[in-house]
Amino acid sequence: MIGTAVACVQAVMMIAIAPLITGIVRKFKAWMQHRTGADILQPYRELAKLFRKDETVSESTSWLFRAIPYVCFATMTLIAFMIPFFFTGIAAPYGDLIALVYIFTLYRFCMVLGGLEGGSSFGGMGSSRELMMSVLIEPSLLLTLMTLCVLSGAGTDISGVPEMLMSMGVLAFGPALLLAAASFVITVVAENARIPFDNPDTHLELTMVHEGMLLEYSGRSLALMEFSSMMRLVIFMTMLGTLFFPWGISTSVEPLHLLVGFAAIMLKLMVMSFALALLESSSTKFRLFKMPNLLTASFVLALLAIISLYIL
Amino acid sequence: MIHGIEIVVLIPAAAALLCGLSRDERALSWITILAAGACLAAAAWTFWPVFSTGTALEYGMWYVDGLSALFLILTAAVTFAVALYSHGYLRFERAAGGLTLRAEKTYYISLNLFVTAMLCVFLVSSLGMIWIIIEATTLVSTFLVGFYRDEGSTEASWKYLIICSVGITLALLGISLLYASAIGVIGSVSSALDWPVLMSVAADLDPVLLKTAMALVIIGFGTKAGFAPMHTWLPDAHSQAPTPVSALLSAALLNCALYSIIRFYMISEIAIPGFASTLLLIFGIASVFVASMFILNAKELKRMLAYSSVEHIGLIAVGLGIGTTWSVFAALFMVVAHSLTKPILFFCAGNIIQGYGTKEMSAVRGLGKTMPYTAAMLTVGSLAIVGMPPFAVFTGEIALLYSAVSAGMWWLTILLVVLLIIIFAGFTGRVFPMLSGSAEAEVTEPEGPIRAAPLAILAVAMTAMGLFAPESVADGFRMIAESMIGGLA
Amino acid sequence: MDLIIYENIIDICAICMLVITVMAVMSTYMRKLIQLFAIHSLFLAVLAFVVAFYTDNSHIYITFTLTLVLKVLLIPRFLDYTVERIHVDKEVRSPISTPGSLLICTVLIFAGYLVADPMTESLTTLGRNCLAISLSIVFIGLYMMASRANALSESIGLLLTENGLFLGTMTISYGMPLIVEFGVFFDIIIAVVIIGIFAYRINRTFNSIDTSYMRRLRD
Repeated sequence: MIGTAVACVQAVMMIAIAPLITGIVRKFKAWMQHRTGADILQPYRELAKLFRKDETVSESTSWLFRAIPYVCFATMTLIAFMIPFFFTGIAAPYGDLIALVYIFTLYRFCMVLGGLEGGSSFGGMGSSRELMMSVLIEPSLLLTLMTLCVLSGAGTDISGVPEMLMSMGVLAFGPALLLAAASFVITVVAENARIPFDNPDTHLELTMVHEGMLLEYSGRSLALMEFSSMMRLVIFMTMLGTLFFPWGISTSVEPLHLLVGFAAIMLKLMVMSFALALLESSSTKFRLFKMPNLLTASFVLALLAIISLYIL
Repeated sequence: MIHGIEIVVLIPAAAALLCGLSRDERALSWITILAAGACLAAAAWTFWPVFSTGTALEYGMWYVDGLSALFLILTAAVTFAVALYSHGYLRFERAAGGLTLRAEKTYYISLNLFVTAMLCVFLVSSLGMIWIIIEATTLVSTFLVGFYRDEGSTEASWKYLIICSVGITLALLGISLLYASAIGVIGSVSSALDWPVLMSVAADLDPVLLKTAMALVIIGFGTKAGFAPMHTWLPDAHSQAPTPVSALLSAALLNCALYSIIRFYMISEIAIPGFASTLLLIFGIASVFVASMFILNAKELKRMLAYSSVEHIGLIAVGLGIGTTWSVFAALFMVVAHSLTKPILFFCAGNIIQGYGTKEMSAVRGLGKTMPYTAAMLTVGSLAIVGMPPFAVFTGEIALLYSAVSAGMWWLTILLVVLLIIIFAGFTGRVFPMLSGSAEAEVTEPEGPIRAAPLAILAVAMTAMGLFAPESVADGFRMIAESMIGGLA
Repeated sequence: MDLIIYENIIDICAICMLVITVMAVMSTYMRKLIQLFAIHSLFLAVLAFVVAFYTDNSHIYITFTLTLVLKVLLIPRFLDYTVERIHVDKEVRSPISTPGSLLICTVLIFAGYLVADPMTESLTTLGRNCLAISLSIVFIGLYMMASRANALSESIGLLLTENGLFLGTMTISYGMPLIVEFGVFFDIIIAVVIIGIFAYRINRTFNSIDTSYMRRLRD
């Protein structure tokens, strides 16, 4: 009972800090580019502003266009309740790792539809690019998560993976985990539309993928879409931090352990934000036709990870 | 005290050093000729007893038995002929211009080092060392193949370097697997790759490891020996290298690779009977087949000769693959017959190319009138290489076919006969038109006894082998074959 | 417990080598390829060091030193020098697209696994499982040599293949007898020098080190 309560709390916390993390990444980036940068709370203000604004909807759209932001937000909220944050218990133990992958797919599918609904050429372009990427991302995401299942021996049970990995000790820290993590890192960058796959700060029509799909949204719908994107970033970072490298996470509801777990995951998130900012500042965006190269590399890494479980 | 083995190796090595110090074109070739002669004498003196009695000579890192003695003497003999021919060949090139002292120096230094390395292959005991030396032969002879520095020879030498290095890398992988299986039996000692040691424990080696090892070794060294389909470097290298080098590649280098395959083959036939021989049979038939197809379409003389080498290596592999005493005897006989006959043809090709200034066979006519001596030798050599009696190759081929029949492999016999007939038709159909007709340009025979001598020596040796294989030689062959197959029984 | 740590380090080094090999297949810049080769060799050296430390075998320390000095430092330096001399830094795109090459690599990795699997059971060394990885590296190196049309990338492929082979000998038999190892290292050095000389010569003869220009000799 108390476990479920803690799990609900951690899910809400995860949702709550999503804009903060985005703000932190932006701040790190600003520092690296010798700017002062906006306050780390700026994303909250942006969202609040958007929520207050009126909405403009194109006449050519159907009800789907209005429904999609809510669906997107709902899928991300659901996932926030499905994965551990600082405590291995989870509030919604109904889905497993495979379901997770397909809930992400549902999210992406809705976004693509939203992009097409607007009827603008940019939305269509963004959607088709997003689909091309997702075709390449999905298998490697699935394979990396399967590697975790097999490696930890927990099956597809989400909360079991960190527990089992931690109980394996140093044995877990082998090639399979490293390869899977490497593949997952590429997936995180690609899935969250960051450089070198997509630039989150630009609306340059030739290159944009993710922003292209949001172009027709405004007001509250845009706020929801942006909020779910921020949640997605946190969720992926958390997955890297708790599923792949769970060390530090709390397995019991004792306050001290929970505190340590919280500190650990926040530290991990900081490190990852810093790494992401570093990556975005030091690399340039790929040409669209080069994206498959890196995504296939991610797929190969994932495949290697799962093969290495059997070879080694 | 320095034993005969070291002397044999040191002579060409010293010759390379002297060539490096020498500042005169003439001295270079004479040093090489003298060294090759001395080396032949030393090799014959030291290793003839080993060959005729079959008692192995073994100390330090060296190991020589009848098999290696046979290859050693043969290589030394071919080297001597090549050294003689090089003298006249390079003199012609020098007279035609475009040959610097530096190029000639590179040629002779590389030639002597190449010979040193090839002789070492037959002398060392460790299979690991054999690998190193075979790789060294590739590295040294790359310079010889690329001697002319034009487009063709650059391409050929690059191909040669890369393909052979790749092949030999696979062979090293095979050797390391063999080593892994050997230390599983005798523990981690540095002699675990020595051939006699391996032979003594061969029956206990791990069959799974050994199978992969053998496959890799046969593919690896087979690349160097010119087995189809890994033979692609061979016609390029043979046709683009200076002609004496082509002869050396064909008559000596291929033997080195064959020799190492035979060493591994003997080990594997004890541990996993039938595995290596089947592989050799397959590669052998493939080589003969591929060679016959290319000989039918050959345009350049030296390329055709190169494919003929592929064919003979294939026949030798078939002989080893059948795996009876008779067939191994035939294979060894073929080795000698091919190595004595092929240089004659290459030397004739060298004379023709220098005389007519073209490599294309269709551009050469009227050889009988312009170069009577070369024409005669070309006729003899061609008849010999396609397996006409009374020459040595004929004896070898007949022995091979006989052994195939007596081993009950009828299909193999028929296949070989058909392929040999195709080769006969292709080869003679290309060579004989060159003899008749009339030459368009003014062409004369290259002069000088030193230009004619190597051809004559080899022709006599090869005919003698065919007509009446000397009793002691035949005994030596039989002894080797029995020791190889005796190990299998 | 100690054994597991050793094995883990060896496995990680081997896997890193494999990943670098795959990266080499992807990259077309000469200098990057050379760097990748250096890192590849560095992992091999680390692996050799771990094996040497575990077996307490002095001759593997020598192998380690040779790998470090020759393959991590000297050979990359020499190749860099060659690249500088012939002013070639980027390869023309190879006929097979990068994703296609990567998929072929995965097939080759499977092949390596299939070939190695029956053999690993008869081995008893630490890290014997790396045989599969070593074979994969050898296969991918060979594929790289076959698919590239550039003299220098071909030679990098050869060197990667050779590293894979050393990985194999290191893990299945703790290296070869010392004299053989010396000989092999010597051969590699000479081979690299000769490759450098010939790359230069090819560049001068064909005005390019694109080996697809070398199509004159065929029947």
